[in-house]
Amino acid sequence: MTAPALEISGLGKSFGGLRAVHDVSFAVPAGSLTALIGPNGAGKSTLFNLVTNLFLPDAGAVRFFGTPLAGMAPHRIAALGLLRTFQTARVFPGMTALDNVLAGAHRHARAHPLAQAFWLPAARREERALRQRASALLDLVGLREFRNLAGTSLPLGAQKLVELCRALMARPRLLLLDEPAAGLNDAETGELAGLLRAVRDSGVTIMVVEHNMGLVMDIADEVVVLDLGRLIAKGSPAEIRRDARVVEAYLGPAAEGVR
Amino acid sequence: MAQAAQIILGGLLQGSVFALVALGLSLVYRVTGIINLAQGGFCLLGALVYDSFAVQLGWPVPAAAIAAAAATTMFGLALGAASFVPALARLPNSSMLMLSAGLLTVIEGLALILWGSQPYAVPPFSGERPLAFFGVRMPSQGLWIAAAAALVIVATWWLLARTATGKALAACAENPLAARILGVDVARLTLFSFGLTAFIGAVGGIVAAPILSLQFDAGHFFTNTGFIAVAIGGMGSFAGAIAGGLFLGVAEQLAAGYISSLFSNALALGLLLLTLLWRPQGLFVPGRRRRHDVRDEQRLYRAILRVDGRGAALAAVAALALLAALPALLGEGGVQSSLTITLILFIAVLGLDVLMGFAGQVSLGQAAFMAIGAYTAGILATRYGMPPLLGTLAGLALSILCALVLALVTMRLRGAYLALATLTFGLLVDQLAVGLTGITGGPSGLVGIPSFAIGPWTFATPSAMYALVLAVIVALVLALAGAMRSSFGRALQAIRTDQTAAAALGIDVARHKMAAFALSAALASLAGSLYAFDFHFLSPEMVATPRSFEMIAMLVLGGEGTLLGGLLGAAVVTLLPTVFQPLADYKILAEGAILMLAFQYLPAGLLGSFVRLLEPRRGRRAPAAGDAVKALLR
Ligand SMILES: Nc1ncnc2c1ncn2[C@@H]1O[C@H](COP(=O)(O)OP(=O)(O)OP(=O)(O)O)[C@@H](O)[C@H]1O
Ligand SMILES: [Mg+2]
Repeated sequence: MTAPALEISGLGKSFGGLRAVHDVSFAVPAGSLTALIGPNGAGKSTLFNLVTNLFLPDAGAVRFFGTPLAGMAPHRIAALGLLRTFQTARVFPGMTALDNVLAGAHRHARAHPLAQAFWLPAARREERALRQRASALLDLVGLREFRNLAGTSLPLGAQKLVELCRALMARPRLLLLDEPAAGLNDAETGELAGLLRAVRDSGVTIMVVEHNMGLVMDIADEVVVLDLGRLIAKGSPAEIRRDARVVEAYLGPAAEGVR
Repeated sequence: MAQAAQIILGGLLQGSVFALVALGLSLVYRVTGIINLAQGGFCLLGALVYDSFAVQLGWPVPAAAIAAAAATTMFGLALGAASFVPALARLPNSSMLMLSAGLLTVIEGLALILWGSQPYAVPPFSGERPLAFFGVRMPSQGLWIAAAAALVIVATWWLLARTATGKALAACAENPLAARILGVDVARLTLFSFGLTAFIGAVGGIVAAPILSLQFDAGHFFTNTGFIAVAIGGMGSFAGAIAGGLFLGVAEQLAAGYISSLFSNALALGLLLLTLLWRPQGLFVPGRRRRHDVRDEQRLYRAILRVDGRGAALAAVAALALLAALPALLGEGGVQSSLTITLILFIAVLGLDVLMGFAGQVSLGQAAFMAIGAYTAGILATRYGMPPLLGTLAGLALSILCALVLALVTMRLRGAYLALATLTFGLLVDQLAVGLTGITGGPSGLVGIPSFAIGPWTFATPSAMYALVLAVIVALVLALAGAMRSSFGRALQAIRTDQTAAAALGIDVARHKMAAFALSAALASLAGSLYAFDFHFLSPEMVATPRSFEMIAMLVLGGEGTLLGGLLGAAVVTLLPTVFQPLADYKILAEGAILMLAFQYLPAGLLGSFVRLLEPRRGRRAPAAGDAVKALLR
C-alpha cells in the first residue's frame, strides 16, 4: 500500500488569540481529487500555508508521500513536487505570461547557469523544449495568444489560469489550488473542471479549495470541510451533501444557492 | 567626568539636527515608502536663504529665520507638486529613489548658482559667548538648536496624533488604496507631507547653520546622516527617527572624542551595520505587521520590454560596430580615454543590472566592490610586483568573498533597508580607503600602477586598452544574455517581485540572491581593476560612494533589465559633464535637471523608450487582453 499523498495530523495554528486552524487531521489519498471547503475565514488558506511551511505550525505534523515536511524550507517542499497556487493570483509582474509559466519549470531545468551563459547546445535545446511545453500549456487554457503580454495585464481569472499553468509546468506530484475558479464565469469554470479532471487522471493528486459548490460536487472524489479552524466532516460529495453538521455550519444560511 | 558630559552634550546637540532630518525622511517614507534623498537639500536651502536674509540683508534673526523657513517650504511644495508627487503614480521604487537623488542635485546646483562655491560661516543667533553649566560648556547656539528641535518634534507629534490630517496621514501609511477608496486625497496628503518635510528640514538647516561650515554641496551630508539615523531608529517610526538621530550624534562624538576622529565615521557606520543585523527593522518598529501570504509590494513594476531575439542581436551588432569604429573616427587622445572609462564603468553597470534590474535588489555599494578590485590589483602590482592578471583575479576573489558575506548578512533585509546596508558597506570601504594610508596611499592616492598585461602581451597604449575592454564587454554581454534569458534569469526576475511565490515554485531565493550579489560584485571588481590599470593611478574618490549613485543613474537612465541599456546610460552620464563644461556654474543644475527629467519621463530608460518607439503599431493592434480572453474562454 502506498503512502497517502498528504497526511496531516493534529495541525494547529493561532494568530494572537484566534485559532485559525485547530487540531486538524486527515489524509489525501494518492491520485485523488480532494476538495477543501468551508465558510470564509474557516482556515482553508491557512492550512495550505501550513502545509507549505509558509507559516510554522504551532502543533502537528505533515507528511508528503511519507516524507515529513517539518522545518523544511518552502522551496525544498516545492522541489519535492508539492506545488501550490495562491488565493490572490500571484503572477510575477514584469514578466510575460509565457515567462511566468516558464518560471514553473525551475525545478526541472537541468542546464547549469554556466551552460546557459555559454549558449551550449544542450542548454538551448532544453530551453526550446521548455518553451514549447509552456506554450502548449497556455494553449490548453486558451491563453496562447496572450503569451507575450504582461501576466498582470490579464484579467483576474486569466491570471489564476496562468498561475495554474505555472504550477503544472513544474510537473507536480501534489497540487494545492486555492480557489482556482475565482474570477471565471460558468462556461470557463466548466472548462476548468475538465482540465482538473484530466490532470488528476494523468496521476497528479489534487487538493482544491473552492467556494463554487457546483464545481466541488462535480469533480471531487472526497470533500473535507473546515469550520472555524476545525475539521467538521469528511467524505464523498454525496455524503457531505447529506451531512447535517455541514448543512448547518456551512450550507445552512445559503442552502437555496446550492444545488 | 566633565569631559564625558561635554562630549555627550555635544553629541545630543548634533543629534538633534540629525533627528530633524531623520524625522523629515521618516514622514515621507511613512506615506510613500520612498526614501526621499532630496531631504538634505531642504536643510541646505534653509540655511543658505537664512544667511542671505540675516547677513547679506541684515534682517533681524527672527524675521530672517521665519522668512527662510517659509521660502524653503514654498520651494519644497513646488518641487513636490511638479515632480515628486506626480511621479509617484508612475514610477517603480528604484526610479523614485534616483528621482529624489536628481532633485538633490538640482537643489545643490541651484545653490551653486545663487550662492557660489565658497563656504559660508553663519553667525550664531545670540552672540559668540558660550554658556556654562556646572563646568560643562555649550555654544549658545546649542540652546536654539535644542529648543527648535523640541518645538518641531512636539508640533509634529501633535499634528500626527491629534488632528484629522494626522489621522488621514496614518490611513495613507497603513493602506493607500483603502484610504483612497475611503475618500482620502492621497496625492494632496503626500504633497502636504512633502511640504512639511521641507519645513522641518529648513528649520534644522537654519538652526544648525552657525555650527557648520556650509557649502553648496552640504545637502549630501544632511541626507546621509539623516538616512543612517532613521534606519537605526526604524523607518517610518516617529520615536525611532528622534532616538536614531540623538543616538547617532552621541555615538559619533564619543568615537571622535575617545578613539580617533579619523575613524569616527567608520565606527558610526559599523554601529549602524550592527544595529541593522541585530534589529533589521531598526530599534523601533512602526506598529504595522503584514501578512506574508499576501503580496506585500503593491507598487508599480517596471513594464515589460520585449525585444525579439533578432532585433536585440541586430542592435548589439550595430552598437559593437559603432564602438569598434569610434577610435578610428575620433583619433587617439582625450576622447578615446574617456570612451575607455565609459566602457569600464559599463562593466560595473552590467553587474548592477543583474542585481538590481533582474533580481530587484537595490545596491548603493557597487563602487565599494570597484574599490576592492582596484586597490587589490593596484597594491599587489605596485608593492609586490604581482602580474596584473593575477592581481585582478585576487581582487575578484576578495570581492566575491565580501559580497557573499554581505549578502548572507543582509539576507533578511529588503528594499530601503537593503539599500541602506549596502550604502553603509560602501561608506565603510570609502573610510578604509582614505584612512589606511599605509596600505592605500590615503587621500594622496596610489601611484605607479603598471599597464594591464596578460603574460607577454601588455596593453600599454590607449587603443590596446580600448580594444581589450571592448572584447571583455562583448564576452560578458553574450554570457549574461544567455544566462538571463534562461532559467537562471527567470528565477532572478521572479525573486524581484515576489519571493514567496518564487520559493513556492522551488526557487532557492537565498542562493539566487547570493549568486546575483557575487556576480554583480565580480563585475564591479573587474571594472575596478581595469580602471586602475588604465589610469595608472588610484585615489579614494575615484571609486567612492558618489560613484555608486552615478552607476545607478546610468542603469536607470539606460533602462533596467536590458543589459545593453546601461551602455547608453554610461555614455550619457560620462558625457554630460563634458557637454555642460561651458556652462560653468550652471553645470550641476543642468545635469541634475536632465537626470531628473529623464527619470520622471522615461521610466523605461533610454533604451526602453527607444524600443517602445519602434513598436507602437504592434502595441495598438494587439487586442485588449480582457475581452479577447473572455471571448476565448467562453
Ligand atoms: N497572517 C495572519 N495573521 C493574522 N490572522 C490571520 C493570518 N492569516 C489568516 N488569519 C486569520 O485566520 C483566519 C482564517 O483565515 P484563512 O485565510 O485561512 O481563511 P479561508 O478559509 O481561506 O477563508 P476565505 O474563504 O475567505 O479565503 C481568518 O480569521 C484570518 O483573518
Ligand atoms: Mg482563503
